Amino acid sequence: MAVYKRGYQKYDGPRTSHAERMLVIPRFAWERLLSQKAVTVLMVVALFWPLLCTLFVYLANHSELWSGFGAGFKRILAVNGKFFVVFMNVQSVFALILAAVAGPGLIAPDLVNNALPLYFSRPLNVRDYILSRMLVLAGILGLVTIIPGLLLLSIQTGMAGVDWLWNNGRLFWGVLAGFTLWILILSLVAMTSSAYIKWRVVAGGGVLAFFFFTGGAAEMINAVFRVDWASMFNPSWAIEAVWMELLGVEIPPDRPGFFECALSLSGLCAGLTWMLTRKLRPVEVVK
Amino acid sequence: MSTVVEIENLRVWLGRREILKGITCRLGVAGAGKAIGLLGPNGAGKSTLIQTLLGFHAPSAGRARILGFDCHTQAREVKARIGYMPENDSFIGNMTAVSFIRFMAEISGLPAAAALEKAHEVLFHVGLGEARYRQVGTYSLGMKQMAKLAQAIVHGPELVILDEPTNGLDPAARRKMLDLIKEMKAQHGMNVLLCSHLLNDVEEVCDEVLILKDGQVVHQSDLEAERRSNRRFVQFEVSGDDRGLLEALRAVNAEGVSEAPGQWRIVLPTGVEMSALWRIAASQNLKVKRLTHRRDTLEEIFLKAVGHLAPAQPQPAAPPEVPVHGRL
Repeated sequence: MAVYKRGYQKYDGPRTSHAERMLVIPRFAWERLLSQKAVTVLMVVALFWPLLCTLFVYLANHSELWSGFGAGFKRILAVNGKFFVVFMNVQSVFALILAAVAGPGLIAPDLVNNALPLYFSRPLNVRDYILSRMLVLAGILGLVTIIPGLLLLSIQTGMAGVDWLWNNGRLFWGVLAGFTLWILILSLVAMTSSAYIKWRVVAGGGVLAFFFFTGGAAEMINAVFRVDWASMFNPSWAIEAVWMELLGVEIPPDRPGFFECALSLSGLCAGLTWMLTRKLRPVEVVK
Repeated sequence: MSTVVEIENLRVWLGRREILKGITCRLGVAGAGKAIGLLGPNGAGKSTLIQTLLGFHAPSAGRARILGFDCHTQAREVKARIGYMPENDSFIGNMTAVSFIRFMAEISGLPAAAALEKAHEVLFHVGLGEARYRQVGTYSLGMKQMAKLAQAIVHGPELVILDEPTNGLDPAARRKMLDLIKEMKAQHGMNVLLCSHLLNDVEEVCDEVLILKDGQVVHQSDLEAERRSNRRFVQFEVSGDDRGLLEALRAVNAEGVSEAPGQWRIVLPTGVEMSALWRIAASQNLKVKRLTHRRDTLEEIFLKAVGHLAPAQPQPAAPPEVPVHGRL
């Protein structure tokens, strides 16, 4: 029978699980994000660098192609921790731009249209909402960071043999954990920007500005007080230091070490989470 | 059968202000399809009570239960059983009505296919069938109200909480909304908690009423029982010395309040006929200028509960007039 003839009937069928309900939010959000041209174009552009790196891996594993270039060239064409630090550094910039484009549309529309009471009157709480929204960005950013990183590792393993992966297992976990941490930071910054700045363009600019200003402020403190420790407050540097540690690359001695940087990033994540939970309330309470 | 809403000494503080000051009540019967009206002047705590029932505020003392589940500690179970229609505009931008309702149904726990089917079904039900592929943001106020109702009932909740559902509706849309609420009760067995400033709406739709004032319950009554009872309100206007009228009314178990010199509002109990008033007027040497009677209305109940009908005060004696044995 046609729907318009049938009339409303109260639903009393089976219900989905809590986890499935949480995944509904990312599913709808991905559908909307991937329909935006800017997001699609950025995702395609973000794959150029992994393609270049794949070429590098190919060359590194085919020494007959550059046998005439000497031993110095051989040192450059090595697939090791340093290679992956460079790969992750460049790819993280694409991820940052993508987060600035895709992130602002996540929370601001819900706040502008007063949709939070609709979410929170259903079996979802603030934590579920934040996790669901984070999953949206994690999915998009994972496609341009973790997936290409793991593909590169797979290609290198395929060319150099399983023994190479066995000897360089740290790189696998380093890429995975390093990019996961970067995605977490980018997601939190983008969501906080979206929650506090309702104008999408400005919110996107806010994401980029956050990294520029924190970096600039950290370097300014270093220069004014002639110290090195302020670099740990520069998220771009701090994440690079963490990646170096994870990938077994030596951190420059004149810069803060792994623990300071990890602590600084943990504090940043905690602060952003606190700001988000303060903003995301079903009703505004005037005290 | 369990109670729909059970509140015990509920206290809620927002900032440094105590908004709900120890509310205790039991409302509705689960599965009975009854509507509960929540009334009160501005700032009485109605919205805070609704938001506490939805788990938006944590009680500082006491507890609130919906369908047997604690609103604070078992919020997920409670929310799985309720639908909520907020007072203000609430929707998700850049979504068609079908997508919006489907999305709401899915996060309420309906499988994707069922959610899509129910979204179409409920949009036709509320009268938005032809506009279901339009973006909700482009809807008129009345259409947005209907879309909000649709998202509140799409998942078939046991209790629907409606906050000012007829706000901003024209008479035809208001009639449609009230008919839909009545249908939700009668045909689908849903319980409804209706918060409204419009007493006529509450009187038309609700079976029970809870009146709040200053964060406390000042009246709770079963409107059905009120309607069934034969109590009648009488507006009684007399001239003469009416100082003994209150005493005489009490002698026949009637209650009365003097609204102005010579103007009385009297409640006649069951079994007391109108003729008793004529006899009292005659015995008090009063000249009856006007006598009208009607059944108790929610407006009377509300005004009494919030203290807008002052208790009877002794009135100064009216100038003497010639009694005509209580008759005009």
